[in-house]
Amino acid sequence: MIVIDTNKLTKVYTHDFIDVEHGRIRFNFFRRTVALDHLDLEVREGEIFGLLGPNGAGKSTTIKILMGILFPTSGSARIMERPLGDKTVKGQIGFLPENPAFCDYLKGHEFLNYYGELYGMTRDRRRRRIPELFGLVGLPDHAPNLPLKGYSKGMLQRIGLAQALLNDPKLVVLDEPQSGLDPLGRKEIRDIILALKEEGKTVFFSSHILSDAELICDRVAIINRGCLISIGELNKLLNTKIKDYEIVASGLSGAAIEALRPRAQKCIEREGDVLMIVPTETEVNEVMRIVVNEKARLVSLTPRRETLEEYFIREVSRHAPDEETAREGAANA
Amino acid sequence: MHKITVIALNTFKEAVRNKVLYFLLIFALIIMGFSGVISDLSIAAPEKLIKDLGLASIDFFGFLIAVFVGIYLVYNEIDKRTIYTIVSKPIDRCQFILGKYFGLLFTIYVNIAIMSLFFFAVLYFRESTQPDMVNKALYHEITPGKWEAAGNPAIQYYLFHAKQFGLSAGKAFITIFGYTEPLTQGLMRVILMSALGLAVITSFAIFYSTFSTPTLSAVFTFLTFIIGSLCEDILRYTDKLAEKAGGVNMLTGADSLKYWFAWAAMHITPNLGLFDKRMDAIYGSEFVNPLDRYVTVDWVVVVYGLLYVGGVLCLASMIFNRRNFK
Repeated sequence: MIVIDTNKLTKVYTHDFIDVEHGRIRFNFFRRTVALDHLDLEVREGEIFGLLGPNGAGKSTTIKILMGILFPTSGSARIMERPLGDKTVKGQIGFLPENPAFCDYLKGHEFLNYYGELYGMTRDRRRRRIPELFGLVGLPDHAPNLPLKGYSKGMLQRIGLAQALLNDPKLVVLDEPQSGLDPLGRKEIRDIILALKEEGKTVFFSSHILSDAELICDRVAIINRGCLISIGELNKLLNTKIKDYEIVASGLSGAAIEALRPRAQKCIEREGDVLMIVPTETEVNEVMRIVVNEKARLVSLTPRRETLEEYFIREVSRHAPDEETAREGAANA
Repeated sequence: MHKITVIALNTFKEAVRNKVLYFLLIFALIIMGFSGVISDLSIAAPEKLIKDLGLASIDFFGFLIAVFVGIYLVYNEIDKRTIYTIVSKPIDRCQFILGKYFGLLFTIYVNIAIMSLFFFAVLYFRESTQPDMVNKALYHEITPGKWEAAGNPAIQYYLFHAKQFGLSAGKAFITIFGYTEPLTQGLMRVILMSALGLAVITSFAIFYSTFSTPTLSAVFTFLTFIIGSLCEDILRYTDKLAEKAGGVNMLTGADSLKYWFAWAAMHITPNLGLFDKRMDAIYGSEFVNPLDRYVTVDWVVVVYGLLYVGGVLCLASMIFNRRNFK
C-alpha cells in the first residue's frame, strides 16, 4: 500500500504587505516565495523513508502540509489512500514537529494524558501506555511529575517522540527528530525508528544528519528549493563501485612518506601514523610494497564507497545551477 | 463533544495557572471589601452603594478576565507552535476553538462565582453588624431601661463579628444556589444576565484572537465592549441626526457618513446594555434600564445572547479553519 502519495504538491508563500527589517520598512508588493514546487512523492507501507535536503529546501513545508498545519497552494496529497485531514487517518498517525514546543504549564504525565484524550484513547489504555512511553523514550524517573517548562531541549524532544507514539500509530512522521540530541540520544532515536519498522510501522522523517539517515533509511528523497532532485532506494542511488582506498600505516621513514605522497590523493601524518587515500588497486600495491620494504606496520586498509553525504552534496550542487537558470528564465518570462 | 470538553478543561488548567487571573480576582475582592467601608460615607441607602459597586466589579472584572486571559489563549498556541501537534490529532479546528471558548468561559464563571460569594458575604455581614445589633450582642437589659455589659466588651465585640462573618459566608454560599431573602432579591438575576453578557464578549475576544495579535485583539474587544455598552446613546445619536435632517434619506455629506457609520457599529456589535439589569435590581422599577423598553422578557435576551455567541463562534471557526500556521 502507498502510505503517503503527493501529486504535484506546491506551496507558495505570499509575504506580508509591509515588513519591518532592521528598523527599515520594506514593502512587499506581490512578493512570493515558492517553498514547494510540484512535489511528487510515494512512501510505501513498512519502510523508513528519509526526506533530505539543505536548509530551506521545503522539507518542513512538505511535512506541515501532510499534517494539516499548512494548506497547499496547488496539487494534492493522500495519506493511507484518504485525502488530507481525514480524522480516521489522523488517528493512525504520530507526528513530531521540528523543535517541538508543548503546553509548558502541564506536567509530563498530564501532557501525555491530554494528548491521549485528544486521540480518543480510553482511560485504561492511557494508564498502560503512558508509563511505558516514558521508559521507551528514555526520560528520567522524575520526568512524569516535572512541568514541561522545566524540561531540557533533549527531554522535550523525547517527550515529543512519546506523544507521537502514544496512539501506537501506523505511520510515524518525524521532522528533524534528532535535532537537539547528543550522540547517545541520536542513537536511541535511531534504535526506536528501527524498532518501529520491525513492528511493521511506516516511518517518514526529515533530517540533516545524513550519516544517521544512511544507516536506517530504506529509501530517501532529496529535495532542494522545493523541487525533488532524486528519490529511490539507497543501495541503488549510491554508487556501489569502490571509489578509493584508505590506508593507515605506522613506522614509515620520512623518505618513504615523501615517496608515497605523489601517489596518494591525500597523505596526512598523525602521531607516527600516516593516513593515505589512494585511487586504484595499482597504487595500493605500490604502497604495500613500500610498507613491506620499510618494515613498517600496516594498521588498516579500507576500500571506500560513496556515502550518502557525498551523493547528497553531488546531487544538490549538480542541480543548483539548473535551478538558478530555470528561476532566472521564469523571472524573465 | 468529548474532545471539546478535553480542550476546555485543559484551557481552564492553563488559565488558572496564569498569574494575571489572580491579580484581577484579588483586586476585585479588595474593591468589594472596601465597598462595605466606603458605604459608611453614603448619606442614605449605604447598601445600595455596596450592591452597585459589587455588581459593577463582578461585571467589569469578568470582562477584564475575558480580555486579558482570552486574547492570549489562541495566539499563544500559534505563536509557541503547540498548535502543530494539536491540529495533527484527530480533531476538527472548530472543536479546538469551541474548547478554548468554553474553557475560558468556565474560568470566568468560576471567578464570577467566587466574586459573587464574596459580594453576598459583604452584604450579609454589613446587614448583620448594624450598630443596634452590635449593641444587643455587647449589652443585655437587666431591668427595663438599665443595660449591662455581657462580659468583656472587647472580646464580645470580636466574637460577635467573627460569628457574623461565618454566618454571612454560609448564607452567601447558599444564596449562590438559589436561596434569596429581601436583601438579595433579584441580585442573582443581575449576575446571571451579566454572565450571559460576558459569554457574548468572550466569544468576540476568541474571534479576534483567531486572526490578530493580542494587542489588536484587546483593542478590538475593548471597542466592541464600549460600542456595545453605548448602544442606547448611539441609537439616540442616529435618531437625532435623522431628525435634524428631516429623515434618513435627507442626510448628506458628513452627517450621512456619521449616521451610517454609527448605524453599522450599532448593528454589528451586540447590545450589551440588554444584559445590564443593575438599575432594576438596585434602584427599583422607576430606574429601569432604558433599553428595557425594547426587550422586557429575559428569555428574549437569553436567545439574543446565545445567537450572538453562536454566530461569532461560527465566524471564528471559519477563519481558523482556513488559517496556515507558519
